[in-house]
Amino acid sequence: MNNNSKFSVEDLDLFYGDFQALKKINMEIQEKEITALIGPSGCGKSTFLKTLNRMNDLVEGVTIKGKISLDGKDIFKEMDAISLRTRVGMVFQQPNPFPMSIYDNVAYGPRIHGITKKSVLDEIVERSLRQAAIWDEVKDKLKKSALAISGGQQQRLCIARTLAIEPEVILMDEPTSALDPISTLKIEDLAVELKKDYTIIMVTHNMQQAARISDKTAFFLVGEVVEFDSTENIFNNPKDIRTEEYITGRFG
Amino acid sequence: MTSNRSSRKIKDNIAKILIYIATSITILTLLVILGFVFYRGLPGINREFLTRMWDDKTTIVTVEKDINNLENKSLNYVPSLGIYIDLQDGNVVITGVEKKSPALNALNKKGEIYRIKKSDIIERVKKIDLREATSLDEAITAIEGEDTSLDLKIRRPGGGILPMVISTLLIIVITLVVALPIGVGAAIYLNEYARPGKVLRVIRFAIQNLAGIPSIIYGLFGMLFFVQFLKMQYSVLAGSLTLSIMLLPTIISTTEETLKEVPNSYRQGSYGLGATKIQTITRVILPSALPGILVAIILSIGRIVGESAALIWTAGTVAQVPRALFGSGAAAATLTTKMFWEIQEASNIDTATSIAVVLIVLVVLLNLFSKLITNKFLKRTGTGK
Ligand SMILES: Nc1ncnc2c1ncn2[C@@H]1O[C@H](COP(=O)(O)OP(=O)(O)OP(=O)(O)O)[C@@H](O)[C@H]1O
Ligand SMILES: [Mg+2]
Repeated sequence: MNNNSKFSVEDLDLFYGDFQALKKINMEIQEKEITALIGPSGCGKSTFLKTLNRMNDLVEGVTIKGKISLDGKDIFKEMDAISLRTRVGMVFQQPNPFPMSIYDNVAYGPRIHGITKKSVLDEIVERSLRQAAIWDEVKDKLKKSALAISGGQQQRLCIARTLAIEPEVILMDEPTSALDPISTLKIEDLAVELKKDYTIIMVTHNMQQAARISDKTAFFLVGEVVEFDSTENIFNNPKDIRTEEYITGRFG
Repeated sequence: MTSNRSSRKIKDNIAKILIYIATSITILTLLVILGFVFYRGLPGINREFLTRMWDDKTTIVTVEKDINNLENKSLNYVPSLGIYIDLQDGNVVITGVEKKSPALNALNKKGEIYRIKKSDIIERVKKIDLREATSLDEAITAIEGEDTSLDLKIRRPGGGILPMVISTLLIIVITLVVALPIGVGAAIYLNEYARPGKVLRVIRFAIQNLAGIPSIIYGLFGMLFFVQFLKMQYSVLAGSLTLSIMLLPTIISTTEETLKEVPNSYRQGSYGLGATKIQTITRVILPSALPGILVAIILSIGRIVGESAALIWTAGTVAQVPRALFGSGAAAATLTTKMFWEIQEASNIDTATSIAVVLIVLVVLLNLFSKLITNKFLKRTGTGK
């Protein structure tokens, strides 16, 4: 095992009832890198991502086999879901700010983890919004509803909300698919910036995006990881013919 | 094509006209009813009607006279009691009470303070009956005697609906305090915790059917269970508990509908930040469901205020401010039960319509009030405008 490995996935199988959505996944995800997950619709990217912070626990009838460790600790046996999720934050495909003020959205995580002091919260909110590159746009309307800003701003707000709990890993499920090109570029720049401090795992349907910003890329196909390598290799030198077909758009 | 289009247009217009007619009929009916109620009811409404008790109340009190007060301010001033009196329809009516008047410290037979008020009627002084008094002097001479302490028979005139207003508000508050937490809690359980399946379907079916049961049946149950079996007697508590049971199905289904509409992405966002289920429910789901819960509250208030069948045999029809929540002296008529009783037993249509006006105004006020509170709350959570 590589000693920079953040997540280590061994022989992971996942079933929704009888349907096997993930098959024998093995993957080492490196610390402070961006790992992109690509593959056709329904191949299990979101399922895999949600397994990493145990969001699948909330789904009825899910069975999981195999092992996932975070910094060497088994996330199923040695950690509870709540503390895992504070270390592994998640940004969803659709921006999903809560129907509260911008401030309360960012302060939500710290508050549920017991921080009540106004000055501390103020500081966390400002720092998180700055990190998510949205501070300048919202600093004058922190008390306004988070639902009243643009979709791109909402997504960065959601990233700020995740940063506020100071996670080690950020999972992003197609964070830009609902956004316009300019907002998309902002989020991509942000991801590259955040990579300095965080491990990022991002599902994307956008090949250029994966190629532009990720260090490693995993290609999923019907529940299996066909190929997992440096982004460089996946895009310029794929070993599997199916990978090549997919990234060149010739995939059936 | 063209003929098809024009025939569609005609159909469209006919539909439109029908809708206009239906709407006009509805609005007109509403206006006629409101107009009738206000036309018959408004003349009966005045300060006395709103602020007085329903029944006259006679009390025998003892007053310590202020014999040092010899001021003689006017002909209808009684110095030793510090009050002004007047003769109205053969009654000696108190028209004013001074701030330092000993009448404010009168004692009833139990030794409790009884504050004599403006508009109280003096019926008897010592042994002298004043009900047939022909002049004010008669009364003044009777009061200004030698003795320092005086027995008075005071009649406080009724004719007002204050007890019913108080009882109505009291029953609304108790019913909501009981039914809301249980109803909202049950809705949360059904929507957030219970596993979908046969049991849940049966529970939902039961709730929907309970909502359709006539209120008289709840009244019957309330009478047998709360009034008789639990020995609460006719009381505000028995009435409120009966109404709580009656309202639970509505509160549960209305709340559940709104909980269903809370987007799942809120729940996921919250769990994704490491929140527990309880935190997610109390901090994200319930606040987003608040407008729906408000609808449940408004519907409930409407039902409570409008209810008579379930209350007559549980809370009784006594026009008094209840002296306890249950047991003796706890019976209380609401505005609606009183109205029902006035028509049924006294055929007093004018009073009934006056009560109706008060009821309508009360309902509007209560609804505005609930809206105001919810808006305040929504502003705090940042969803308001
Ligand atoms: N809750 C669920 N219950 C049953 N099956 C599910 C559930 N969620 C996903 N699946 C199935 O699991 C498979 C993988 O789904 P998943 O959402 O992980 O795909 P994906 O790669 O993220 O697709 P997309 O690119 O469209 O988002 C699909 O066949 C899907 O139908
Ligand atoms: Mg997906």
